Amino acid sequence: MAINLYWIQCGGCGGDTWSLFNAETPDLVELVDLLNIELLWHPSISNKSIRLQEQMIERLISEEEKLDILCVEGSIIRGPGGTGMYDEAYGAPKKNLVASLAKRANHVLAIGTCASFGGIGADGEIEATGMQFHKWEKGGFMGADFRSGSGMPVINLPGCPCHCDIICGTLAALVTGQEIELTSHNTPLEWYGMMVHQGCTRNEYHEFRVEEKQFGEKGCMFFHLGCHGPLATGPCNKRLWNRRSSKTRVGVPCFGCTRPDFPQHYSFFETRNIEGIPIELPDGVSRAHYLAYKGMAAAAAPERLKTRKTEI
Amino acid sequence: MSNQRKNIQVYPLNRVEGDLKVRLEIQDGVVTDAWSAGTMYRGFENILLGRGALDGLVITPRICGVCSTAHLKAAAKALDMITGVKVPGGARRIRSGTLMVEMLQNDIRQASLLFMSDFARPVYQNHSLYGEAARRYAFLTGSVTRQAIHHTKKILEIVAILGGQWPHSSFMVPGGVVSLPSRNEIMQCRYLLSSFRSWYETEFLGCCLERWQEIQSRADLDAWLDENPGHMEKEVGFFIRFSREAGLDKIGKGHGHFLSYGLLDMPQNTAVKSVNGGTNFLPAGFVTADGKVEPFQQEKVFEDITHAWFNGYSGIRHPLDGLTRPYATGSESEKYSWAKAPRYDGKPVETGPLAEMMVAQNPLFTDLVKHGGPTAFTRELARLVRPVLIIPVLEQWLKEISQQEKRFFQPYDKIDTGEGYGLIEAPRGALGHWVKIRDGKIEKYQIITPSTWHASPRDTAGVRGPWEEALIGTPVKNPENPIEVDHVLRSFDPCLVCTVHAVQLSR
Repeated sequence: MAINLYWIQCGGCGGDTWSLFNAETPDLVELVDLLNIELLWHPSISNKSIRLQEQMIERLISEEEKLDILCVEGSIIRGPGGTGMYDEAYGAPKKNLVASLAKRANHVLAIGTCASFGGIGADGEIEATGMQFHKWEKGGFMGADFRSGSGMPVINLPGCPCHCDIICGTLAALVTGQEIELTSHNTPLEWYGMMVHQGCTRNEYHEFRVEEKQFGEKGCMFFHLGCHGPLATGPCNKRLWNRRSSKTRVGVPCFGCTRPDFPQHYSFFETRNIEGIPIELPDGVSRAHYLAYKGMAAAAAPERLKTRKTEI
Repeated sequence: MSNQRKNIQVYPLNRVEGDLKVRLEIQDGVVTDAWSAGTMYRGFENILLGRGALDGLVITPRICGVCSTAHLKAAAKALDMITGVKVPGGARRIRSGTLMVEMLQNDIRQASLLFMSDFARPVYQNHSLYGEAARRYAFLTGSVTRQAIHHTKKILEIVAILGGQWPHSSFMVPGGVVSLPSRNEIMQCRYLLSSFRSWYETEFLGCCLERWQEIQSRADLDAWLDENPGHMEKEVGFFIRFSREAGLDKIGKGHGHFLSYGLLDMPQNTAVKSVNGGTNFLPAGFVTADGKVEPFQQEKVFEDITHAWFNGYSGIRHPLDGLTRPYATGSESEKYSWAKAPRYDGKPVETGPLAEMMVAQNPLFTDLVKHGGPTAFTRELARLVRPVLIIPVLEQWLKEISQQEKRFFQPYDKIDTGEGYGLIEAPRGALGHWVKIRDGKIEKYQIITPSTWHASPRDTAGVRGPWEEALIGTPVKNPENPIEVDHVLRSFDPCLVCTVHAVQLSR
């Protein structure tokens, strides 16, 4: 029997959907076919009439039809004043529909940072929140105690957008019944158990503290240009984007878009620092040791890095 | 029956930028009035206030997952203006090149996955080409659907090579781009484009780009269609045949005013010739309903909030004085939409590929509009063949990047205070960012997207927005499933995928 899947979009841009279209081997069509997924509805591509879609919602909510997987893309918009009327569907707040479907689903996936943690608008007048987290705090829209039919919490797949391999890989794990080990923010360890920094082609510059203050150079962007590569989890430099590259490889600082606090309240493209040393150090390191290590590393930097001779 | 009035709620629920609802009044099977309502408010303009001067480069691409590169370019151009920095030639080509790739992606996906997929719906089971349409465009399994997914994905790799990822990168900054592509990387981009061009010519257009460019009139178009079976059978020919039988060349006319901010900034020292020798490959301009082409003037753009759920001022404001203060009155007042009503020189305007062609006085599209008006058919055809114009320019600029000096970024002075705007043609048409910076922080950020132009509600004089007007006179065979309304709305490439829901309120 096919596993069915319902994709709902809330306060978002559709970027996670279009990221999913980047998938290859299998691509989106092959994935659905190979995993025997029945895509009940996807708002960007379904061409069922809305009347049929409405009847389907009624069947799902009234338990006439099972719902195996619910994918939520975009934040849950609760404004103004908790009414949710900044995002309306069928004359009612869309958040109500999300709650009804989530309670019926065997698995709930929050796709992207907005659905996971609130993302864009989490501090704003639209009162956005994530499915089961509000930024760093457990709770969010469904509440800390929520469990889907399978007994799992909402599985968070952050990223702005979420990398296609993460969506495909998580769906495959659910369909084939593999256990998904989660981090403390309910993200799968397999994808979020590494830092964005890992695999960046600028790593050698980072190692010897050859740091840039200006765009368009080859060195590391951690000390001055606001790069969050060592501060954010995700496989951007392992799986690569569009099979080709990543932001940090081409010289765009990582903005930490998988983090619960994205978009951070401080300015992008600059590193908050004390005496030239970043306030936020790579995940888990001790400040004293880091200062000593970086001082020695800079002193040991080879000429080819200092003169930017090494390609990236 | 003749006195029977029906109100229909149309829910083009599906979307990528925001939800849309259109309320229609239908009398004797014809749309007699329409109200277009954006049903979601995301508050981007206010999220940006007080943030760092460069933060628009990160936040605004997140407005739209389909045209994030376009928002990035508009944001970068506004900051170029504020800093006064001169962008090096290689960077100009990378900025325009990546935007062109995003357009190619959009045009093919919109045509295949969003527009022509309607031809595969059971409502067309009596159409003579229905079986063929279903084979090509069925949900996920259609042969063309699958090809389109594959080739649009591949062409986007160019954006990743030059800018790190698609969607949502921030590789354009004031003064240029951050990337340093090697010659081999540029070659990779050229191979990807070559492969895309080959597919587009053989499988989509049905002829080489040069043959299509010979078409100058409606008569030429008909001659081209009959010239050989390839022209008939491939997607552009199939679209023409299906649309004519379905009557798409009779619906969706609208006000007939067109606006373009100018497609692609021309770099210096390029072998590419712009269409009128100007600073954009296709010129900026405004076409009035009687066909007069006027130069574009930024000062003539205004937004009207009379019928939008915003307050803080009454009537109209230029975006640099604009204000976004949400005011949710529900249905109790004259306000009915989360979209403001943009006006150019006081008029609602159409923007996008057809507008680009009209402003450039393209012979084929000028002739089609002259003889039948700006119909859903003509509007969609302009999108299907925009790649014909874009591909050769992209080929040439990629080639020229390797010949430029290897400098893609010009340093600029730290931004303290200033104001500027970035106006570009995004995949869906005229996109503008208006920005004020004070003491290094964003003081004002106003954005008008192409879909805001189109989704506009009425203005203070009660004049309908472009979608509202285009729907007037549309015949609706089945109010339960008004596919004709779908076609009219989708021909504008709304930043959402419309699906229709009908509730009858007979009286």
